[in-house]
Amino acid sequence: MDRIILGDNQFFGINHMSEEKGRSLAIRFKDTEAIIRVIDTAYACGVRAFMLNTHDRVEKICDHFRASPGKYADLRLYPSMPYAHKYANAVHEKGLVGTLNAFVFSGRSVRQVANTVIRGGMSVINKDMIEVMKLLVDAEMRMFRGLNVPAIFLQNIVTDLLLGFGAREAFIEFTKHVKKIYGADPAFNTMNMPALVDFLLASGIENPIVCSSINKTGFLMTPSQHEYERALAQKPFRPMAMSILASGAISPGEAVEYVCHLPNVESIVFGASSKEHIVQTVEMICSHWNIEAGVPELAEAS
Amino acid sequence: MLRGGVVGFGRMGLTHFSILNTHPSVDLVAVCDSSGFVLKTAAQHMGVKAFKSFDKMLGTMGLDFVIVATPTAIHADVAECAITNNAHVFVEKPLTLDPEQSRHLLELVRGKNLVHQVGYTMRFHDIFMKVKSLLDSGAIGQIVAFTVEMNGPVVLHDARRGWRSKKTEGGGCLYDFASHGVDLVNYFVGSPDEVIGTVLNHIYSDGVEDAISSTFVYRNGARGNLLANWSDPSYRKPSCRFEALGRRGKIIADFYTYKVFFQEDPEVAGYTEGWNEGYLADIAEPVRFYVRGFQFTRQLDYFIDCILEQRACETCSFEDGLCTDIIMHRIRTDGDIRRSHDGQNYIRRQPVLRH
Repeated sequence: MDRIILGDNQFFGINHMSEEKGRSLAIRFKDTEAIIRVIDTAYACGVRAFMLNTHDRVEKICDHFRASPGKYADLRLYPSMPYAHKYANAVHEKGLVGTLNAFVFSGRSVRQVANTVIRGGMSVINKDMIEVMKLLVDAEMRMFRGLNVPAIFLQNIVTDLLLGFGAREAFIEFTKHVKKIYGADPAFNTMNMPALVDFLLASGIENPIVCSSINKTGFLMTPSQHEYERALAQKPFRPMAMSILASGAISPGEAVEYVCHLPNVESIVFGASSKEHIVQTVEMICSHWNIEAGVPELAEAS
Repeated sequence: MLRGGVVGFGRMGLTHFSILNTHPSVDLVAVCDSSGFVLKTAAQHMGVKAFKSFDKMLGTMGLDFVIVATPTAIHADVAECAITNNAHVFVEKPLTLDPEQSRHLLELVRGKNLVHQVGYTMRFHDIFMKVKSLLDSGAIGQIVAFTVEMNGPVVLHDARRGWRSKKTEGGGCLYDFASHGVDLVNYFVGSPDEVIGTVLNHIYSDGVEDAISSTFVYRNGARGNLLANWSDPSYRKPSCRFEALGRRGKIIADFYTYKVFFQEDPEVAGYTEGWNEGYLADIAEPVRFYVRGFQFTRQLDYFIDCILEQRACETCSFEDGLCTDIIMHRIRTDGDIRRSHDGQNYIRRQPVLRH
């Protein structure tokens, strides 16, 4: 798994420190070209891995990658699905069943729809929720077609809802589906890492990739920072850290130092929108972990 | 273990189920919904008994408590059934669509030793809890003026489907969306003495309003404004902002940040004269399980604690629910005065409040 991954919250106006800051980011990244410029900057700094949620605009970013296969030959994408607000708003307008049908069938050719109909039935209403989930995964994965996807993440609201339900089969079937259809590792974003890891291991999902907030102040670490540190030290799983800055509550230096010296953390997902921050973060992580960024541009960029 | 059931398995019902299903003192055993698909999924994957009829569920399952997360129009029926069956009851906001119904529920529940709570979840949000404690400390002095703003991208197209587009079902921006803001007015400042100048706008919806502006007047001279719009596509997700000017300072707060201004050095630890600022990441208290926000777990754990400790809820009780319902009823009534026959709004001069 990639050790350094650039996240995408900043591109979509998501900021957990201030609504105004979120708005400024949304303005700054209004054009997809602005997003691609930051991705290219990260690429030049040696970052090859990007976590992208399934926001409608990600399709355009993926079109750009597909249009330059040579330039992005060793690009690795980590989709996180679904983009929750897309569904929440649609459910309000179309109802649950209308939404499921809309997402499963929208933007598909007659042949693709026919194939879906054979597998899922004309209306998803008659099918089991597990089948519906697989159809939705397929619908969300369409935007990443033809690109290198090492792991597919279930977004945290869905992961945590399912964890609360104790929906063991949903996790097992998601795991099987992404392995079988996409040859990808199943992965999970969560705000309840210790509980999720226990649940996945008890469900027979071995060595799972689990991405969670891991930061020095314990922000969004449920039920406690202590339980997180214990799980990291003791449980057999592949931990990925996000929200390392705790929405700006911690300075980058302190944040990176804390996470890099925890046991077993395999990857860090970080958000940055300027060259300076990307270079600074990548250098700090590489230095603490004693790894090479991988490409000569790092020295040049810095 | 407390045996519980959830009536209404939509977005909030699912959230409540997920949170309570992980509570060490709770055993969720039953779910009721009108959709066969939803019931089939719940029975198959969540290990609960599924019901189409809440009467039957409450009459046969011997539940200690019920979560009511149906469309608002049937809150009263389900809650009454729960109370009749001696179940503690948590009702999603708003309590009902009619203050008389809410009053009736309150009288019923008072006759029994049952815990009752309404899902005004913002009262359990870290930032708004901080605002409440600052206001109660008197640090900014008596409130002179305040604004509650709620905006979000909830309805962005012509919408005629679903219960949220029907006034009789409890749809519309006021009851379904702005009720949180109205409850914050009730919680932070109290019930206004007069509601004036209400305008209910239609943007996309036919049968319900998509935006509201209303003015609250208080006998002590305070004035407040509610501005709500659920059809604003510039927001990524629903937002709520509260601003209050007191005689000694000011508070501005939203879901992530609070700012407090003090005219003089306040006698509150951690604050100084001038602007002070705090963030959610600095003050958020962990919960035992997290889904969609700290506040959702905190409000349900409070409800369960009240049941286990055999005490009444001190916040978000049916009394609070009734009070907020009354304010919303007054907003609706005031807004309807300004609605002409063709559905357009107009402004008409109202009598001035006499002191």
